[in-house]
Amino acid sequence: MKVKILRWHAVASWTWDAQDETCGICRMAFDGCCPDCKLPGDDCPLIWGACNHAFHLHCILKWVNSQTPQAHCPMCRREWQFKG
Amino acid sequence: MEAASSVSDLGILDSVDDASITEIMESWDGFCRATEALLNGHGDLSVGSEFVSHVHSLCKRSLGSLVQDHFLRSLEETFERNGATRFWRHFDAYTHVEVMEMSKSPIQENGIQKVLYKALDDVSLEKQYQEKCLLMLVHALQSYKDSISEERHNSDAERIHLFSKYQLIVSSVLMTTLPRHFPEILHCYFKGRLEELSTIMAGEYEDDNESDDKDDMDLDEKNKVSYRGEMDIDECYQRRKFLENNKLVKNIGKVVRDLRNLGFTSMAEDAYASAIFLLLKDKVHNLAGDDYRSSVLESIKEWIQAVPLQFLYALLAYLGDSVSYDNPSSGLKSPLASHPSSCYPGIDTPSEGLIRWQLRLEYFAYETLQDLRIAKLFEIIVDYPDSSPAIEDLKQCLEYTGQHSKLVDSFISALRYRLLTAGASTNDILHQYVSTIKALRTIDPAGVFLEAVGEPIRDYLRGRKDTIKCIVTMLTDGTGGNPNGPGNTGDSLLEELNRDEENQENAGIDDDFNIDEKQDWINAERWEPDPVEADPSKGSRNRRKVDILGMIVGIIGSKDQLVNEYRVMLAEKLLNKSDYDIDSEIRTLELLKIHFGESSMQRCEIMLNDLIDSKRTNSNIKATITQPSQIGSELGETGVSLDILDATIISSNFWPPIQDEALNIPGPVDQLLADYAKRFHKIKTPRKLLWKKNLGTVKLELQFEGRVVQFTVAPLHAAIIMQFQDQTSWTSKNLAASIGVPVDVLNRRINFWISKGILSESLVTDPNDHIFTLVDDMVEPGKNSVNAGSCEELLVCDEEGERSVASVEDQLHKEMIVYEKFIMGMLTNFGSMALDRIHNTLKMFCLADPPYDKSLQQLQSFLSGLVSEEKLEIRDGMYFLKK
Repeated sequence: MKVKILRWHAVASWTWDAQDETCGICRMAFDGCCPDCKLPGDDCPLIWGACNHAFHLHCILKWVNSQTPQAHCPMCRREWQFKG
Repeated sequence: MEAASSVSDLGILDSVDDASITEIMESWDGFCRATEALLNGHGDLSVGSEFVSHVHSLCKRSLGSLVQDHFLRSLEETFERNGATRFWRHFDAYTHVEVMEMSKSPIQENGIQKVLYKALDDVSLEKQYQEKCLLMLVHALQSYKDSISEERHNSDAERIHLFSKYQLIVSSVLMTTLPRHFPEILHCYFKGRLEELSTIMAGEYEDDNESDDKDDMDLDEKNKVSYRGEMDIDECYQRRKFLENNKLVKNIGKVVRDLRNLGFTSMAEDAYASAIFLLLKDKVHNLAGDDYRSSVLESIKEWIQAVPLQFLYALLAYLGDSVSYDNPSSGLKSPLASHPSSCYPGIDTPSEGLIRWQLRLEYFAYETLQDLRIAKLFEIIVDYPDSSPAIEDLKQCLEYTGQHSKLVDSFISALRYRLLTAGASTNDILHQYVSTIKALRTIDPAGVFLEAVGEPIRDYLRGRKDTIKCIVTMLTDGTGGNPNGPGNTGDSLLEELNRDEENQENAGIDDDFNIDEKQDWINAERWEPDPVEADPSKGSRNRRKVDILGMIVGIIGSKDQLVNEYRVMLAEKLLNKSDYDIDSEIRTLELLKIHFGESSMQRCEIMLNDLIDSKRTNSNIKATITQPSQIGSELGETGVSLDILDATIISSNFWPPIQDEALNIPGPVDQLLADYAKRFHKIKTPRKLLWKKNLGTVKLELQFEGRVVQFTVAPLHAAIIMQFQDQTSWTSKNLAASIGVPVDVLNRRINFWISKGILSESLVTDPNDHIFTLVDDMVEPGKNSVNAGSCEELLVCDEEGERSVASVEDQLHKEMIVYEKFIMGMLTNFGSMALDRIHNTLKMFCLADPPYDKSLQQLQSFLSGLVSEEKLEIRDGMYFLKK
C-alpha cells in the first residue's frame, strides 16, 4: 500500500523570537500587543534596541519621545538606539 | 282567611239579627256551591246568574272581601288539583332519565317536545278557563258596585289587583310543586330547538355568504345615495330569512310565553340562556379544535351574529320585548344580525336587551376560546411560527377578558409538567423558551407576563450543565445543533441577532430625536402605566424591551461565560477548517459584537483575523516556491512538494488553551513544515513559527493494488497509516514509540483505521501489546466490499470526541489549580471551612496575579473535584483535609 498526501493543512502559532515573555514597558506579552493596539503581530511589532532589549514598537516610541534630549533603555539605562 | 275577614266584620256582627244571619248563611252556601260548580264545571257557565245573585247579596252585607278570598282560595285549590298536578304528571316519565340521555336520542327529544307542548296547552287552557271565572266574579262585583253608587268606579284597579293575585297563586302553586327535573327538561327542549335552528341557519348562512358579500358592497355604495334605500333592501332580506324560521321561532316563542304566563319567566330565560351558551361553547370548541393555523375569532363572532342573536331577536320580537320605542322600523330588522358595520346610530337603534345579549354572548365566546387556548398554550407554542393565528386570537380574547393571570398560572404548570423534566433535552427547552418569548411578546408587548412565565424556565436551565453550550450552538449554527428537531432554532436566533441590529439602529435614531423637546413631549404623552399584574418590585424600565438575546443571556447570568464558550467553539471550528472560508463566522461575530460589545469579542476578532492573515501569508509563502530553497531538491525525491501544504497561523495568546500533544509526523512532511517555517521566518522576520503538529486536517489517498480510497483525517491518523507503508504489521508499543505518542492514545486513535477496515487488530501473548496489521484487500475481500463500490469516496473522520481545544471546564480547572495551595493552607489552619467562607477568604486574599474571580458554583465544582481526588473530605457542608 502507498499513501499519497493530497493536502496537509497544518496549524502553527507564531512568536516573536524575544528572550523575554513580556514587554518591560506595558507588561503585556510580546506575542500579544501593546495596550493601544487591537491586533497583535504585524500591527504591533517588536523592536530591539542596541542593548538587545526588546519592546513593543509603540511602547518604546512613546518612551523615547517623552525622554529629551537623550532616551535611555528602560531596562538597562544605556543610551537607547534602535538595533539596525 | 275566613277568620281574618270575620274579625274585620266584627262591628257588623253586633247589628245583625237572626233572620239576616240565616239569609247570609243561605246566600253563602249558595255562593260556595255556585263557585264549586263554576270552577269544576268545565266550561259550563250556566250557574253564572245564580253565582252573580249570590255575590250581590253577600256584598250587600259588606262581605265582599270574604267573597273574594273564598273565590281565590277555591281557584287555588282547583288549580292545584286540576292544573298543576296534571301538568306535572306529563313529565313523570322523565323523572329518572338523565338529561344527557335525553338529548342524545332524537326520539326522546321529540317526545319531550310533544309532551311539553301538550302540557303547556293543557295548563294554559285550564288557566284561561279559571281566568274567565275570575272575570265573572270581577263583573259581578262591578255590577253590584255600579248598582249601589250610580257613578262609575274605576273598575280596572280591582281587576288588575285580582288578576295579579291570581297570577301569584298560579306561579306559587306551580313552584311549590315543581319537580326537580323540570328545569332540565326545559333546558333539553331549548337545546334541541336551538340546534335545529342553528343547522337551518348554518345552511342558509353558507348559501347567503356570497350574496352577503355582494350586498355589503352594494350597500356601501347605496349608503352614499340614501340611507333609506339601504334600509329597505336590508329589511326585505332580513324578513325573508325570518319567514323561513318563523314557525320554529314561533313555537319556541309560544313555549316561552306560556312559561311566562305560568310564572316561569326566569326559569325559561335560564333554560334558553344556558342552551344558547352550551351551543355557543360547542360551536367554539368545534371551530377552534386543535388547529392553530387559522384564526377562529372572526368566524365565531359571525356565527354569534348569525345564529343566537337572530334567534334572540326573533324571540324577543315575538314576545314583544324588543320593539324599540323611538323607532318603529327597527322592530323589523336586527341591525346586529349580519351587518355589524351597518349599525348607524339614530337610524337604527337595536333594542337594549339584544345588545346586552350580544355583549354577554361575545364575552362568553371570548372566555371560552381563551380557556381553550390557554389550556393548549404549550402545544400552540411548540409549533409557534405556524400557530401565530391562534396566538393572535388569544391576545384579543385576553384584551377583552383581562384574565392574564390565568394564562400565567396554567402555562407555568404545563411547563413544569411537560418541559422542565429530566427527559427533555436542553435544546428542546431552549427552543421552547425562544418560542415562548416570541409568542408572549405578541400577546403582551410589555413583557410582564413573560417575566413570570420565563422565570421557571430560566431557573431550570441554570441547573443544566450544557445550557451555555447549547445556547452558543444555537447562536452560531444554522442547524441549531438539534439534529432531531425542526432545525430552525439556530436560524431563529441568528435572525434574532439580525433583528437586534435593526433595533439598535432604530434606538440610535430615537436617541437623536430625544434631544428634541417636542419628541420628549410626545413620548411623555404616549406613556402608559404598567399592567396591574406587573411586579412593582421590578423597575419598569428594564421591562420595556423584550429582547430575546437579553433573556437568553439572562439564563447564564453573565455574558462573559457565553462569550468564553463561544470562543472555544469558534476555535474548534476554525482549527478544523482546511480552507480559509470564514464568511459566516465573520457575520456571526459582527452580530455578536453589536450585542455584546466590541471589547468582549476582541479575542474572537483576533482569531478570525489570524485566519485572514494566514490565508495571505500562506499565498505569500507559496509565491516564494519558485525560488527553490536549499532543501528543494530533496523534496523532489520524496514526491511531496510545498504545494500540498497549507497552514493556519494563530496568535496563540488570544486563543483558548490548545491541546498540545507531541507527535512525530512522517519525515517528508516534517521537512516540509520546517521549510514552510523557514520561509515564514524569511518573510516575517523576526517572527517564528511553532508547529502544533497534532492539529490540522490531512487529506490523503490510500493506494492499494487496484483500489484507491480517499480520507480526510487528523494528522495523528495520517502518521499512523503512513507507518504501514513500509512495514505492514506493528506492535502497539513499537508504533507508539515511532509516532511519539503514548500507547493508550495510539490504541484509542487507531480505532479509526480499524473501523474503516484498513487495519486489523490481533492480540498476542502480552495482553497489553496489540498487533496491528494492514489489511490487504486481496486477502479479505469480504471486509472491504463495503468500500469496493466507491473507491473515490471521501470519508470525513469523526473526531470521536477528540477536541483540539481545551473545553471550558478544563480551562477552569487549570485556572483553579492555582488556588489549590491556598485552599489546602486555609484548611490546615482552620481545620474545617464552609463553602462560602472559603469563597470569601479567597476573594479577600487572592487579589494579585491572578485575582480570584470565580463564582461560588465554580469553586464548588472544583472542590468536589478535590474531594473525588481524595484530597478533601466534605461533611455537613464543611470541607476538611483528608487525613
